[in-house]
Amino acid sequence: MNNMLPLIRNECLKIIKKKRFYVILLILIVLVPMFTYAQMRSAERSRDKFNSDWRLEIQQQIIDNQNSLGSDRIPEEWKTYRRIFVQQLQYYLHHDVNPNEPSGVTFTREFMDNSVTLFIPLLIMAVASDLVSAERTTGTIKMLLTRPVKRWKVLFSKMAALLMFVSLIVLSTFVISYLISGLAFGYKGFNIPVFTGFKISGDSVDMSTVHAVPQWKYMLMQGGLVWFVSVIVALLAFMISVLVRSTAASIVVMMAALIAGSILTNMASAWTTAKYLFMVNLGLTGYLSGTPAPIEGMSLSFSMAVLAVWGAASVIISFAVFTKRDILN
Amino acid sequence: MTKANSGESSPVVLSVDGVRKKIGRKWIIDDVTFDVREGEIFGFLGPNGAGKTTTIRMLVDLIRPSEGKITVCGYNVNRNPEKALQFVGSIVENPEVYTYLTGWENLQHFARMQPGIDNARISEVVDIVRLDQRIHDKVSTYSLGMRQRLGIAQALLGRPRLLILDEPTNGLDPKGIKELREFIRKLADEGLAVFVSSHLLSEIQLLCDRVAIISKGRVLAVGAVDELIARNSPYVLWELEPFAEAQALLAGRPDIQIQNLEDVNLDDSIIAGMGPDSLITIMDQDLIPEIVAVMVTAEIEVRAVHKINPTLEQLFLKLTEGENVE
Amino acid sequence: MSIFGLKERSSRIYFYFRHLQNQFGRFMFMYIVKIFVKCGTIHNRTAYGGMALNDSKWTWRTVSLISIVTTIILIVGLVYAVRDIIYPVGEASETNLPQQTATPTTETVKKLKVVALGDSLAKGTGDNTGEGFVKRTVSGLSAKGVEVDLLGNMGINALTTAGLLSKLDEDGVDYALHMANVILLSIGGNDLFKDSNILQNSGALQSESTTDQELTPESLLAALPEAAGRLGKILEKISEINPNAQIYYMGLYNPFGDIPDLLAPGNQAVAKWNNAAMDIINKHSNMTLVPTFDLFNKHLDKYLSTDHFHPNGDGYQRIGERFIQAIH
Repeated sequence: MNNMLPLIRNECLKIIKKKRFYVILLILIVLVPMFTYAQMRSAERSRDKFNSDWRLEIQQQIIDNQNSLGSDRIPEEWKTYRRIFVQQLQYYLHHDVNPNEPSGVTFTREFMDNSVTLFIPLLIMAVASDLVSAERTTGTIKMLLTRPVKRWKVLFSKMAALLMFVSLIVLSTFVISYLISGLAFGYKGFNIPVFTGFKISGDSVDMSTVHAVPQWKYMLMQGGLVWFVSVIVALLAFMISVLVRSTAASIVVMMAALIAGSILTNMASAWTTAKYLFMVNLGLTGYLSGTPAPIEGMSLSFSMAVLAVWGAASVIISFAVFTKRDILN
Repeated sequence: MTKANSGESSPVVLSVDGVRKKIGRKWIIDDVTFDVREGEIFGFLGPNGAGKTTTIRMLVDLIRPSEGKITVCGYNVNRNPEKALQFVGSIVENPEVYTYLTGWENLQHFARMQPGIDNARISEVVDIVRLDQRIHDKVSTYSLGMRQRLGIAQALLGRPRLLILDEPTNGLDPKGIKELREFIRKLADEGLAVFVSSHLLSEIQLLCDRVAIISKGRVLAVGAVDELIARNSPYVLWELEPFAEAQALLAGRPDIQIQNLEDVNLDDSIIAGMGPDSLITIMDQDLIPEIVAVMVTAEIEVRAVHKINPTLEQLFLKLTEGENVE
Repeated sequence: MSIFGLKERSSRIYFYFRHLQNQFGRFMFMYIVKIFVKCGTIHNRTAYGGMALNDSKWTWRTVSLISIVTTIILIVGLVYAVRDIIYPVGEASETNLPQQTATPTTETVKKLKVVALGDSLAKGTGDNTGEGFVKRTVSGLSAKGVEVDLLGNMGINALTTAGLLSKLDEDGVDYALHMANVILLSIGGNDLFKDSNILQNSGALQSESTTDQELTPESLLAALPEAAGRLGKILEKISEINPNAQIYYMGLYNPFGDIPDLLAPGNQAVAKWNNAAMDIINKHSNMTLVPTFDLFNKHLDKYLSTDHFHPNGDGYQRIGERFIQAIH
């Protein structure tokens, strides 16, 4: 372990000096204000319509969803989803808690919920995708591997540095979206209660286990789930960067997988074996907020197990390939 | 296979024994065997595609040999790279360093990969390669020659006993090449074993003590440069007037062979400097005064006599039988 | 919003975030400064070893420290989340959470706060503009200079009296009714003509009752007494929820007037229903029946939409005018 730290330090410095992390921060600093503004506008509009009475707004939302339940044109899966949604909204109303209390904290929470399947994985890829492939394209891998260090140690140090940056990316997403949205919605709201523990069975929700947690604790739990997803995505992107020589190819492969995942999730398909794909299991935070899983038979433990298997497999493949392969060019 | 007889007493630093490598169905490297000793500059000569780079990559554990054994200072490179590579500094192909880091950061980076290298040592190698003026600049602003020097600094960081340089003069100007040559010689004099690959025969000839010639994955010859060269006689170039009489005279002697210009591989500069009535012969150089005397008595005007020393090129062509050399 | 007694803890977290932000900001700032300083010392030979080394050491320490702390926090969060989701502990939330404290106040009598309740007619199904009589009423009133707000339209397609009765127990509906002082109600059509659901293309919430039973005078009348009883309960419950609000109930019309076989029984059933409604409404001072039977009788082709059941825009306009007259 003693000679491991300098190697990890090397890899961290390279990530920093490559300015990848700054690019990520820049993306966040540019995009989050856009989302904040959009959110602000929609909040303003509903405030005008409902005389800033959130209860009326929620009730109208319930009615609208109930009306769509009556329509034959709406697929049964969506109806299930809406029925559950209606029950949750009613639960919030019943306990006189505004699920969308406008605040920087709420915005951050919702932003994280929405970005866990695509946006954050993209940010992770910005760092992970060329960690190994860039060394191969530039040829620096020859310098790296002709040092008296075992190959697995070189790879391990890269992986460790990547995981460090995964945490930093998750943290920066939280911090930046909180700081920026706070300008518009205020920085308070850490103790707003949020409900969790909706047990979904079929198209009804078991409310017996529902309980309120303060928003800060909710976000802590959410952060943990986001982190888990990010780690798995990072390991997968890392494996692809070991396998594929070109950085562009490795980004394309990962992007395709992620986008395919979000399409499959939206199709809520009858193809139940799709639940073993990692991409449909990325929405871990949905289990916290009580969003029904895209495919029947999925639960938090199931999704985490699937992701863990994918992650472990990519670690094994990465090491097996990297330590054995001849560096031919 | 000729074994070198020079420096027999110095210990072997690098030993390559019966190494073969199969990629796909093809034996890219088919039986390479040689030793490199302390304090010598060992040339590795072959045309492009002969397997030089593959061999070098095997020396530093980038590629694993299918058969055979490579040891550095007694440690098997492939089995025990952590030990063996400690004694090796190398530049494989181009000196590829991180362009987004400064030279100093690059050196620090590689210094962290092996124990016992402090900042004083980094400063030392920076001074050795004379990069101290620009060491804190981003490598992306460096010229190729500066990158080459940074690469050498990197290779020297760990006080290696074996230095492996792959085509070190690529991209250098003549002055740089000369400096590098002197530099390598100095390192060897300090006891370092230097392994240099090149497709430039003249370079190897000027630089190396011993040489291995490789073609199509096989080592054709290993030996001291002088010894290998001595196997060939030099060319002697004559400019004589009148031409026809002179040609008849030379052709009449059994100890002189007149060569056709097309059959002889000479530097372009020499061919360009030759007059129209030039003759190229292969003969013992001790015969030159005698022939000149004969010419004079035959009233043939001797305008120029030029001895062209035998080159590795000749030897190489002989060995590889006309394979293309750049 | 309630106070959870978490204020202290949450503010600590808040400060922690601020602290992290500070650290982060300082790190970025210092980094930029150092780059500038370094640019200035490039040609200073004594600089190396000192400057560059410290810079990288500093960066490394900050990055590793932040990332390790973050990782630990996130892992703790993950453990919490997994535990919370897999073994959720339902709280007796009633005690922990504030009960509905919003007591509606009818401070200004002038401003009308309208809530619509009921079936597809309240929702406005059939109106191409989507407005229905509710929006038309509201906009008509404000055109007349009456200050009016539409708080919400809770019309749900195919809702029956039974459905509405249970809906009144919902918190959101209850709340909206509390907040209103004018309540527009349309209900009963689906009880009376429930088998005519086939005619409208929206599936019903309670569509299990759909049978291939003939639409006969007997079948129309069979459901009447029970449904009328429920209507009474609904009206009473609404006025119980908000005794201060005026309730305007929309009378039924006969949508089958253009089918000769159904004209007479339809008219009969509708009349009976309207009478029953009138009986209930007359007992309460805060309720008004808004008749629509005459608006459509003989003009079905003009005022019904293509589904031959719901009014079209013009039909809703006529209903809206009636409501305006009744309210203002």
